Amino acid sequence: MSLLKPFSKLPGLNSANILLVESKEEFQQSLADALVQETAFTVNVRLAKSLPLPMENEESRPRIDLVAFIIDLTSELSFQSTEASLKCLDPGYFLGKVCFMVTNARNAAAPIERLDAVRKLAASLHCPLLFTEDQTPDGVTNATERLLTILKVAAGLVPMATALYLSNLTRSTVSPDIDQPSFD
Amino acid sequence: NFNTVSSIKVGVCVCVCVCVCVTSSATRTPLNNVGVQRRSKSYRLSYRSCLGTAASRLGLTPALTARRLNTSRRALKPHGVAEKVDPEQLALLVKTEWQLSYVTPLHQFRHTQLKSYSRRLAAFIAAGKQQGLAVAVENPQTTFRVSFSLVEGMTESADDAETVLIQIHARPSFAGQDEPQRPAWSGWLTCVNGNPDYLRSLPKDFTCLPLFGSSGAEGLGALVKSWFQQSFDCCFGPLEVSHTSLQWLMALWTNCHTEASIQHLKMIWTLPAVPPLEVTYTVNPEDAWELWRSVRKQKENRGGGGEEEENCIDIEEVADFVQGLKSHFYRHFRLDLSAGSLNQVSTALGSAKHSGRMKISNSRYMTTTLTLLTESALLKMPI
Repeated sequence: MSLLKPFSKLPGLNSANILLVESKEEFQQSLADALVQETAFTVNVRLAKSLPLPMENEESRPRIDLVAFIIDLTSELSFQSTEASLKCLDPGYFLGKVCFMVTNARNAAAPIERLDAVRKLAASLHCPLLFTEDQTPDGVTNATERLLTILKVAAGLVPMATALYLSNLTRSTVSPDIDQPSFD
Repeated sequence: NFNTVSSIKVGVCVCVCVCVCVTSSATRTPLNNVGVQRRSKSYRLSYRSCLGTAASRLGLTPALTARRLNTSRRALKPHGVAEKVDPEQLALLVKTEWQLSYVTPLHQFRHTQLKSYSRRLAAFIAAGKQQGLAVAVENPQTTFRVSFSLVEGMTESADDAETVLIQIHARPSFAGQDEPQRPAWSGWLTCVNGNPDYLRSLPKDFTCLPLFGSSGAEGLGALVKSWFQQSFDCCFGPLEVSHTSLQWLMALWTNCHTEASIQHLKMIWTLPAVPPLEVTYTVNPEDAWELWRSVRKQKENRGGGGEEEENCIDIEEVADFVQGLKSHFYRHFRLDLSAGSLNQVSTALGSAKHSGRMKISNSRYMTTTLTLLTESALLKMPI
């Protein structure tokens, strides 16, 4: 099984590469359009439905600095596909180069158990968990800004800050009673 | 690699907490059998308190209401509901489709004053009609007769308040005396096996009847709700039957197949295609029972055992059951139902829709269904 490795290639000059993985392939398009608007450095956005990535592009693919998994809470398939994709990442990515984005968290059709499961997943992997809103342009802009902050650090463009250091500050935690309902 | 690293860290924290709790609860354990339940409660309190400092550092306050449904519950038993409850009232409750809502606790609601409540509600409806609020009736001359009645015997524990049934009959001025009257609107407020900690924590004057079902003319229902809101300072809100609750109902109803045949297990899924695809998936009851039995047997093999556990169903078994149904569907139609959402579940014992409509067709299994729905209503309480 081909793992995606974080440090097997040389980085580009003043550029950052981000991979957006989403099973539904809706939000990643609008997010990508907003991400490339960044002018301070070159942002290359790669889109994928799931991992592992196809072998044909292996040579031409640049070094991926940040892998962002987009999970739609109203669809169980989205969560299951993300879990399966996580197995195709080299462990080196989990030192600050992975982040989870969750959409539709406020939707009544999203069961609470799924959100808890995503929280536990992000906490166990020490990755940040971002809640985003994908239907309005404001929501897309907000999500882009937050992603860019993490991407800049992950690509090494921020002096004195590494991805591992930032992940210690941004990683998701779960409250101690997440497994235990208050009711007996 | 990364998994083991993270799990080691977590494991250390958990071990520390567990040791503290066990020692503190051991000193409190009394010697008789009654203490068994108390011990688990003191364990829970000390677990909370030892994490209390951590919780306060993170700024979390333990809320009184739960955040999710119980992960395991007792299997349905055919209860003697038919013996305990008046059969006439029972007949009114089953075989009708109810729209569910949740209600916050009622202030100064007295079960002894039901007659005066009927009069006040009738006056309120008459006043509303005069003001021109929309009440759909054919004959503008109809007067409404309201009756509040107590349905005794539906609750099990002493903490639950008794169920109240409300019926509104339209009495047209020119109708004959012997016409059988179907109520223009009927509704009920109930609390079945509500969480005793929450119920006991409410202040003295409050009655908790969190589950409200209504069926009939919409305008009358809205009038009844606003009367309740005015008289008892409570709030009504829509109650959806969540995805997890629907899965629980599927499993619980299938579990009864040996005692009362479910006749079919029908699910309606909606898939987000363009245009949206609606899938009605009907399973033969025998096959559903076989699948459920094999899931239960797997759990037994895996480690459960003992009398208590045979009656308890865990959420993992429910999830396995539903996963089995979905993978069977995928094998035949190459459509993964995980991509869609479950909208409706129905068997011969009842049906439930995600939008909050529910019907109970068999009164024998009413209690557990209502327990599940009461739990989901209590989850929606604002505090």
